[in-house]
Amino acid sequence: MFDLIREISQTIKNNKLRTILTGIAVAWGIFMLIVLLGAARGVVNSYEEESSSSSVNSIRLWSGTTSMPYKGYKDGRWVRLKDNDMEAISGEVSAVSDVAISTSASGFNIVGPKDYISGGFEAVYPDEARTQRIFDIKGRFVNQKDINDLRRVIVISSDNAALLFGDADKALGQEVKAMDLSWMVVGVYTHRWRKSSFVPYTTYKAITGGDGYVDQMTVRVEGIATDTEAEETESQVRSVLARRHEFDPADSNAVWVWNQFASYLKQGQAMVYLNLAVWVIGILTLLTGIVGVSNIMFVSVRERVHEIGIRRAIGAKPNSIIIQILAESIAITALFGYIGLVAGMGVLQVLDSLLGDSQGFSNPTVDISIAVQVTVALIVAGAIAGLFPAIKATKVKPVEALRDE
Amino acid sequence: MNFDMTSDNVIQLRDINKTYPGVVPLHVLKDVSLDIHKGELVSIMGASGSGKSTLLNILGILDNYDSGSYHLDGVLIKDLSENRAAELRNRMIGFVFQSFNLINYKNALENVALPLFYQGVSRKKRNALAMEQLERMGLADRAHHLPGELSGGQKQRVAIARALVTKPSLILADEPTGALDSKTSKEVMQVFRDLNDSGMTIVIVTHDPTVGAATDRIIRIVDGRIDSND
Repeated sequence: MFDLIREISQTIKNNKLRTILTGIAVAWGIFMLIVLLGAARGVVNSYEEESSSSSVNSIRLWSGTTSMPYKGYKDGRWVRLKDNDMEAISGEVSAVSDVAISTSASGFNIVGPKDYISGGFEAVYPDEARTQRIFDIKGRFVNQKDINDLRRVIVISSDNAALLFGDADKALGQEVKAMDLSWMVVGVYTHRWRKSSFVPYTTYKAITGGDGYVDQMTVRVEGIATDTEAEETESQVRSVLARRHEFDPADSNAVWVWNQFASYLKQGQAMVYLNLAVWVIGILTLLTGIVGVSNIMFVSVRERVHEIGIRRAIGAKPNSIIIQILAESIAITALFGYIGLVAGMGVLQVLDSLLGDSQGFSNPTVDISIAVQVTVALIVAGAIAGLFPAIKATKVKPVEALRDE
Repeated sequence: MNFDMTSDNVIQLRDINKTYPGVVPLHVLKDVSLDIHKGELVSIMGASGSGKSTLLNILGILDNYDSGSYHLDGVLIKDLSENRAAELRNRMIGFVFQSFNLINYKNALENVALPLFYQGVSRKKRNALAMEQLERMGLADRAHHLPGELSGGQKQRVAIARALVTKPSLILADEPTGALDSKTSKEVMQVFRDLNDSGMTIVIVTHDPTVGAATDRIIRIVDGRIDSND
């Protein structure tokens, strides 16, 4: 074994140009593959994040202004959504699984021991976390018990937590002041760009003695698979509101509706295509790499027919020739494959730190197991590519091989 | 036919025929029978196309024959597997080629030691044995030189050392002086003579009459048949 390793290292050392050319082909193939896969992953990740931050299986509603006269009312009338529309919608539209309302309250500061933030907060229902895609939470989001018991709790972003308490980790369980009242921080969340603070809607309403008007309403739908069903549900929701607020159900300006479910379906499909495209790119790159490595291996063995003839004349068995060539090609592809792998990962790191948070590109990484798998695939391909000419070379009669100069 | 069948034959060929298939099959060796005794220095001479290279390849277990029999040091050489052929080549025959056929990225010592590598001899032992043969060829001081740093005569002596390192039954030399000037040719022939004096059986294939003249016996091959054997 040690002898074989010596033989291989000697052959490699003494055929520097051939080794380097082969190595560059291998390293470049793997490098390109890793970078391409990673970059494509970055685009996909970003797309997933962008679309998931706004695309859920829900219909969003905002207050609007009528554009048609109806039942004696003239057009141009402001239709304001009210919190009790919520129960009506969930009671009357069968596909609706849940309705959440949210409204923003502004014009006051949230004050912590170290600093304060101005603006206000959003008064929400528990489902808002899903709607706004807030998943990375230390502690918890607003829950149903907060809603029922009118608790004065608040969920803040980690950036704001750091600002208010000097250290985001210290915020949980502490209190902040807002609207002249103290609120307990029950959750600190991390999101790429959201910074809003959230409190239970019912608590906010009780404190302000609010009129029940809300900014927006999110209607979550279940069991819907097609655009037609989504549109049907939308028009049902619209007619409930039209009846309650007395506007023409055909008046699309009275309540602004964003039927995200339709785009949710389309985006799901786009995601499938994008992922497919990434894999097609990956596999084509891998094939290109394999062809390149195979070519070089083929040429490199072809170049050694004479040497193989000498070795065979002095007693090398065909198997020992094949093993040696195989071991050589595996050693070369593995070494340079590893270099390509590390370089590719390095470039992805650099890309991540330069562009990681920019629009359209996010977290361009390749799963290490995929990276190792493609590297192994290339090594195996290189070995097989070396194997065929090696077998062929041992089939050539030593005499003929010796003549081959 | 009257042949010496005693066991001191290193090479014993009986009615060897060899035809290369093709549109027009080429019958290169025709009923070749031949004995070479232990300790002989023999040359095989013939014009190109006479079949002498084919004969050399069969003797060197580098090629098969169609009919007849070939015993090398008592072992029947016929229809061998590639592995068995390689093993017998390694143990029983030392090759010397016209173009030396040294591996150019291995130094003299490593080239000489290479046949022992394929016998699984340890590195230390094969280097010692290789050095012994290089000393015998007067090349101890060139042991760590690459072939490119050696003269033609030195290269051929390295090749002879390599042929001797496995202590074979037979040295087969294919035009060993073909690439050398006349002075160096004489030196190399003297090496063969000295080896033969120490008991080594040597067969030299050549078309050079002076090389033939320097051997004990010349076997002439004409048109695939042994023409004279004296």
